[in-house]
Amino acid sequence: MNRFVHKTTLSALAASLLLTVGCSSSSETTADGKVKINFLHWRGEDSDVFKELIAKFEAENQTIDVEMSVMPSEQYQSTAQTKLADGQSGDVFTSFPGAQFETIAKANLFADLTNESFVTNYEPNLIKAGQKDGKQFALPLQLVYNQPVYNVELFNKYNLTPPTDWEGFLKVCETLKANGITPIAFPGADVGPGQFMNSMLMNNAPNEDVFTKLEAGDAKLTDAWWTKTLSQFKELNDKGYIQKDSLGTKQDAAVAYFAQGKAAMLATGSYAMASAKKQNAELKLGLLAPITVSAADKKWDGIHTTTFMLAVNSKSQHQTEAKKFIDFLSRKDNAEVYANKTSQHVTVKGVNYTSPELKDTISWTQKNTRFQPRFLIQSGDVQKAVTSSIQDVLSGTAPEEAAAKAQKLVEQKLKK
Amino acid sequence: MLTRLGRRGLLAIYALLILVPLAVMVFSSFKTSGEMYQNPLALPGALQTENYATLFDEQSMGRYFLNSATVTLFSVGCSLFFATLISFAILRLPGWKGLLVYGLFAVGMTVPAQVNMIPLYALVLDLGLTNSLLGLILVNIAVTLPVAVFIIAGFMKTLPRELIEAGAMDGASEWVMYRRIVLPLSLPSIAATAIFLFVMIWNDLLYPLLLTNNPDVKTLPLALLEFQGEYMTNYPVLFAGVLIASAPMILAYILLQRHFVSGMTAGAIKG
Amino acid sequence: MKPSKWIYLFLLPGLLLYGVFFVYPSLSALFYSFTDWDGLSPDFNLIGFENYTRMITDDTVFQTSLVNNLKFMAVVVVLQTGFSLLFALLLLKNTRTNRFFRSLFFFPTVLSSISVAFIGAFLYDPTLGLLNNLFDRVGLGFLSQNWIGDPKIAIYSVALMQVWAHTGQMLVLFLAGLNSIPREMFEAAAVEGASRWQTFRYVTWPLLAPATTIVIAYTTIQSFKAFDLIYAMTRGGPNYATEILSTFLYHSAFQNYEFGYASAGSVLFMLVIALVTFLQFRALRSRKVTY
Repeated sequence: MNRFVHKTTLSALAASLLLTVGCSSSSETTADGKVKINFLHWRGEDSDVFKELIAKFEAENQTIDVEMSVMPSEQYQSTAQTKLADGQSGDVFTSFPGAQFETIAKANLFADLTNESFVTNYEPNLIKAGQKDGKQFALPLQLVYNQPVYNVELFNKYNLTPPTDWEGFLKVCETLKANGITPIAFPGADVGPGQFMNSMLMNNAPNEDVFTKLEAGDAKLTDAWWTKTLSQFKELNDKGYIQKDSLGTKQDAAVAYFAQGKAAMLATGSYAMASAKKQNAELKLGLLAPITVSAADKKWDGIHTTTFMLAVNSKSQHQTEAKKFIDFLSRKDNAEVYANKTSQHVTVKGVNYTSPELKDTISWTQKNTRFQPRFLIQSGDVQKAVTSSIQDVLSGTAPEEAAAKAQKLVEQKLKK
Repeated sequence: MLTRLGRRGLLAIYALLILVPLAVMVFSSFKTSGEMYQNPLALPGALQTENYATLFDEQSMGRYFLNSATVTLFSVGCSLFFATLISFAILRLPGWKGLLVYGLFAVGMTVPAQVNMIPLYALVLDLGLTNSLLGLILVNIAVTLPVAVFIIAGFMKTLPRELIEAGAMDGASEWVMYRRIVLPLSLPSIAATAIFLFVMIWNDLLYPLLLTNNPDVKTLPLALLEFQGEYMTNYPVLFAGVLIASAPMILAYILLQRHFVSGMTAGAIKG
Repeated sequence: MKPSKWIYLFLLPGLLLYGVFFVYPSLSALFYSFTDWDGLSPDFNLIGFENYTRMITDDTVFQTSLVNNLKFMAVVVVLQTGFSLLFALLLLKNTRTNRFFRSLFFFPTVLSSISVAFIGAFLYDPTLGLLNNLFDRVGLGFLSQNWIGDPKIAIYSVALMQVWAHTGQMLVLFLAGLNSIPREMFEAAAVEGASRWQTFRYVTWPLLAPATTIVIAYTTIQSFKAFDLIYAMTRGGPNYATEILSTFLYHSAFQNYEFGYASAGSVLFMLVIALVTFLQFRALRSRKVTY
């Protein structure tokens, strides 16, 4: 068969050709003496803005080239983490707070940034998530509020204001429902449970270390703090305040539903504001949080997370250049460009927000918000058991039973 | 069994099940995100050709395309070649030896890729083959051999013994028997395997992602990954990319189709 | 007929590449299954069979994912094999329309899983999706379901998307198989006056045995390895309803940081597939025909 003779000779020729291609691209110092560093992260939505910033950085630092590798979180958790271990990738990389941070720290893959000058560019109380044993290993750049986004105009139309207690929250939902608007768009199939659980839980379990206690065996999911949260989820669902069949709804559909004005609240987080506005630029948006207790018992106003933590790979061959890049991103002017163009709050001091939704929600930095409880869960299994119990309740299981099932899974994990 | 109308009806229903989503993808590639979610089935209002433009001027699409083409063609070519050699050997080796080799390759199909990933990365790194098309090709060949051998050897087993024995009796060497007797007769299964491997490798995300950082050696699926964010996926641009990326695979299918459909064994046993 | 010694040379290149880039990493992973390695740190401890015993006796998520995977596999194997065989028979003649249909049916196979997941959401979303809206529009509203949100049917909904994505692929194998059957067989049957069904049952089906075996085995293995689609569609939820072995492995390795545990899982995973495939081979072996 001529095809195969053809293929074999081609392959032989190609093999030699490829050997040349193969060897040339692996060194990190290019032919003209420049140093190449690899910036590894998961924010596809921010690629364009980063490309702009990288171009500016490269213009200011003629000897450094930045190569950006972006992969969405599913691939980031697996592939990016694998590549970090030997320092060839991710000279500058990003980490989530919580379990990922702890594991990478344990593997000694973070370079110590404690004494770097750029650390002082950040608000000191917003960079705690990247600290361990008194050292600063990573610097969170993004400041996110993991609480529902609401449609300000719809609220105004029915004379509603963000409620201050549970009864108030139920009343707001009832008014919306009576007027044919779905109160809450909840993506139960993906991020919904993991996001909404935080604001529902914050006042039911005001002590911030409840999950640490859970993982140590000192607290149980069958205790009041969680069963109450589950029954409140059930209440919202039974009263029809969450859209029908929410467990089958994914994030994209929930955002679309909200952006089209069919739902008044979107139970995810401040990061959704950018997506909603992309679909409907007319929207006026704000943030609120359900207060699950009476106004007198309320301790927390909302939930914040500091994430997208910039770090330098301790095995990197180019730590000086990597640090220069982080220094660049930490500068007020660059952080400002990043924040406004990607429509996110940042943790850098003195940044001036110009986009409307960022300006409208800046007041939240002054409120009493708690660090996202879900990120304080160290084990992926336990996190999954917790969010699954919410899905369980929404599909009709009684709160106590769902909590018991989840507790059993937690105990299986603890046995190890 | 099935009436003519029933048969036509069934084919039409399944065709619709594919055409409707395909139409949504094509239409969406010309819409804005908001427009797409409003009414996915509607024809686009104004043709947003900038979705396609974004792909071409910001990315080095041409480079990615070339890399994908190079990696795929060489990986598929070599994998098929080695697989046919191995399948022929399985056919020829007597008793347990043939079965052992077959089993060794077939069992490779059951191994999940996620767990092999970590040791594989360390190995490729040690061999200095990261960031190279060659490294990708070698890994792709190794990883697709199980499937290729499984299918090709599976079909080769059904070839009539007499043909090979006739060849051996005539004093033909192994290579000649392989090349002139077995290979032509195995063409349908080889073509079938070719299209399988083509799609597998062209669309593969895992190994290019794992083994390359350098944009010069990135492949097409990696370029499209950038449109998937943490919370927001830019579907219109993504679909534009997916449709462009699909074109070579459909083309390959159309070209290979006549080979797995032509009946090569008809008349071969006569005389 | 004994082959010459040269036959071993045929094995050499393939075995070499396979051995280095596939077998060796697999063996490393096997080694790690006896440790408590988290996948990142340089140190770990040898813990013998602890991972295995824990998974089999203590891990209800593993058990659930195994059961889900078997349900998924059963639906996929039956429907995918059935439809691809049916279509192969219907599209056998090499007419222009048939060639078009074959290419069209193959199209879903070339889509990456994120596109398939999008199409799944487009069809299955309870409020905005096509299926429920269509049912409501034609008065069949009672057929509307919470396709991927109802824990009882989610695994089947996902299985249907898997069938949609890969039937066209198996069609290729059946076409190759059908075309390997010599024309004389069909001619002889026609001469004997056999009906369509009789021709199928006594000529086509037996002679198709190798292709059928390959399709069933491949589909089975593919349905155990289906990670991307399920992860993109449901992430294994709601409440573990669509958690299958591959998503379970992914969670263990990369979200729980228990790589050693996940490696043990992949060994068990392989054993399960091997067992299922072996049982299938046994059931189908009696039909092997040589001519």
